Amino acid sequence: MPDAAPWSPAQYAFRMSDGQKPLDRVWEVFRQEAEGDPMIHGGNVKAPDEELALHYAREFYGRRQESHRLWVVPREAIVELDDPDLLKPPFDRSFKRPGGYLIKHKLEAAKARAGAGPATPNAAEEASE
Amino acid sequence: MSAQLDAEAREGLAELLLALADDEFVLGFWDSEWTGIAPILEEDVAMSSVSQDEIGHAKAWYELLADLTDDDADRIAFGREPAGYRHAALMNHARTDWAFTVARRFLYEHADATRLESLARSSYAPVAELAAKMRREETYHLLHFDVWLRRLADAGGEARDKLAAALERLWPDAQAVFAPLAGEAPLARAGILPDDLETLRRRWLERVIPILEGLALPVPPVDARPAGDGRTRRSDEFAWLHGEFTMVARSDEGATW
Repeated sequence: MPDAAPWSPAQYAFRMSDGQKPLDRVWEVFRQEAEGDPMIHGGNVKAPDEELALHYAREFYGRRQESHRLWVVPREAIVELDDPDLLKPPFDRSFKRPGGYLIKHKLEAAKARAGAGPATPNAAEEASE
Repeated sequence: MSAQLDAEAREGLAELLLALADDEFVLGFWDSEWTGIAPILEEDVAMSSVSQDEIGHAKAWYELLADLTDDDADRIAFGREPAGYRHAALMNHARTDWAFTVARRFLYEHADATRLESLARSSYAPVAELAAKMRREETYHLLHFDVWLRRLADAGGEARDKLAAALERLWPDAQAVFAPLAGEAPLARAGILPDDLETLRRRWLERVIPILEGLALPVPPVDARPAGDGRTRRSDEFAWLHGEFTMVARSDEGATW
């Protein structure tokens, strides 16, 4: 198949594995509750094509006016990474987490030096997370 | 508002509202029978939801009628004998198979869209407001059944044959959505019905015929007509459905929630 072809339903139809019936196509649905909110995975629907996938996504994730926007993505379009060697390497990774650095007191001292007074507990807490 | 209507216009309006409500109500009940047995689970949910929409629209029309005639919407919906219903002959037919259902919905959704587009310009504000609101919801119904019509037509074989046969069988009775009403003249005079029903029927034909031709589906004669006046002849199939949808109401008459 041609690589890097522009997105089209036909492209994904071509990718269907042998013996897979059109009705078995799965579409992942992401929904947004209000403008500006993150798109959150809602679930999936089966549909033979893009058009019916949108209709069914609308029925499953929008018929009660609970969604502001839906994204409907053919499952084949998702690039998956679940290799434990890449995601959960065996060595200690705690130094990669910002929580490993205790900066609360350093931050307060810096603010005092700058004459801003002690930082509020919440702000200091956030900074050290 | 209704106080400003003369007796003739009021009578015509009541007839129109009953026709609008009964079309949506009976179709909503027929197609709700797909719950649990539609071709795929997703369509099962979609069809049930669309049917609920129609019952919701029927409720709104019945309530407008009840306001006008000082009646009760539930009584009008469930308290009549089969002979008292005024849905178009298109809704006399049983659910039958999926192709038949798609054929009926395609013909009806375009007829309803044509009618609502006109009624949204009604001089009677409650009708105009309701029609405008319903048009927004019916947009999706139109899309959905256009997609299904195309799918079955393009599929060829049995699906296409059944669809073509259903379209031919339903065609005369589909015209009944625009069957003239006894009180149509006073409605037109008062601007309640901005276009006469024959004009709307022509407009509907201009919508559906190009779609059918584009899919090489049969286009039956445009002057086909239903048997009788289109809105009073009631079938045995409808009498059966009536028994189903009035069952709960009859079991405890006048019950409240």
